[in-house]
Amino acid sequence: MGKREKVLVKICVGTACFVQGGADLLLYNDFLDPVVLANCEIEGSSCLGMCKMSSTKARPPFVQIGTEVYGDMTQERFCKLLAEAVNA
Amino acid sequence: MNDIFIDVDYAQIYKSGQKIGGDVFLLSRNPDNNQVVCTLSDGLGSGVKANVLASLTAHMAHKLSFSELDLTHSAKIIMNTLPVCKERKISYSTFTIADIRHPSLEDIHINLVEYDNPSALLFRGCSSLSWNREKIDLQRDGAFKKEELSRSYLKMEVGDRLIIFSDGVTQAGMGKSLPLGWRVEGVRQFAQQQIERNPSISSHDLSQAIVRKANTLDRLVSKDDITCMVVYARKPRRTLVVTGPPFTKEKDALLGEKISAFEGRKIVSGGTTALIVSRLFNKKLKVDMSCWSPDVPPCSTMEGIDLVTEGMLTLSKVALVLEEKKQVRTLHDDAVKKFVEVMQDSDQVHFIVGTKINEAHQDPNIPVEIGIRRTIIGRLRKALEDNYLKETSQEYL
Repeated sequence: MGKREKVLVKICVGTACFVQGGADLLLYNDFLDPVVLANCEIEGSSCLGMCKMSSTKARPPFVQIGTEVYGDMTQERFCKLLAEAVNA
Repeated sequence: MNDIFIDVDYAQIYKSGQKIGGDVFLLSRNPDNNQVVCTLSDGLGSGVKANVLASLTAHMAHKLSFSELDLTHSAKIIMNTLPVCKERKISYSTFTIADIRHPSLEDIHINLVEYDNPSALLFRGCSSLSWNREKIDLQRDGAFKKEELSRSYLKMEVGDRLIIFSDGVTQAGMGKSLPLGWRVEGVRQFAQQQIERNPSISSHDLSQAIVRKANTLDRLVSKDDITCMVVYARKPRRTLVVTGPPFTKEKDALLGEKISAFEGRKIVSGGTTALIVSRLFNKKLKVDMSCWSPDVPPCSTMEGIDLVTEGMLTLSKVALVLEEKKQVRTLHDDAVKKFVEVMQDSDQVHFIVGTKINEAHQDPNIPVEIGIRRTIIGRLRKALEDNYLKETSQEYL
């Protein structure tokens, strides 16, 4: 297997996201599969700007995985989506 | 805002075994006419009696300094009011009053009145200056000798320090490590070394160092109350806090100009605000994932800005910490701690408050109460002014 590019992940740490579950996502070191974790580049974002868009139905906390932004993120969903992204 | 800051602080160790001090320090600032008055008074003996007498003296000195009365005349009134000890035939309390006025950067002057305390020291950089003191003789009823009051008028420059201490400092180590005690000369040399080692040493640190050294000379069993007060005239340490996006997008550029024109430390508080600043200065914003706690989102780093934090949660936590005067060392290692440290280390704090409303914060589903930015800044300013004697100012954008 050749060397793959890591999946870029941005967790929003803006006020609205942080208080509605974003803080739980920051514990990713504790709940993510180490194999998945090793293939991800995780960083924070001071605000992804999604919470102000009236067009989206999704609610905070928001996470950007690759180029896609997902709302309503929970620890379980985060694990699942990241595993999919890494194995894609 | 003032271009000059008079940094005054004191340190004190009571006589070993005493729960109350016989040395009393008072400080008042009158920002209307740029006046700072500090008084150090030492009551005869130690413990409660000394404390009552020293407090009496210090408060009288203080009140009189703010009146229109001439300082020498005030000192005479105090001396005539002070009771003379029946056995020892000396007055109950000694004092030093420093009345500092600083109308402008070039004109800082001190009216210094000393009565029986060890002579004050004046340092310009690390060199000690001497000056002539005008002696005033006073005869009081019941006293066996003439009293001598000394008065000086000193011009101070930015960077000068005035050090005033009680006889507990000069007599430290007497009969123990030093036959005649530390004496004024010893204190002078020690202070000089401290200033040489750290030319911008704060009043707090210098007074602490002198008092600790005196206590060490007394082999940690002080024989008298040890008190030292330092007055340091310096340029104010300024901090700018930018929070919230401007009301209209057109004002963004103005915000950028204000930030780059500011001399001093800069804090940006708020996710969207940070993005605006990052875009304006074309600097990368990086979230520091190692620095957060369950109540406070992580802070970020950006070149040219000393601290970048999240907005409302961090600010309300900072306001709470400052209102309750919590010790910095008891705080989590997060954005709030960094913010509070910068606040405590500043003399003047200027707030630029963006007035744009954040739609996302209006969501009723948000589990914690997110206040109104203006209210929180108001609380912050009040806490800084009342609890920490900082100067603050504010503008809306």
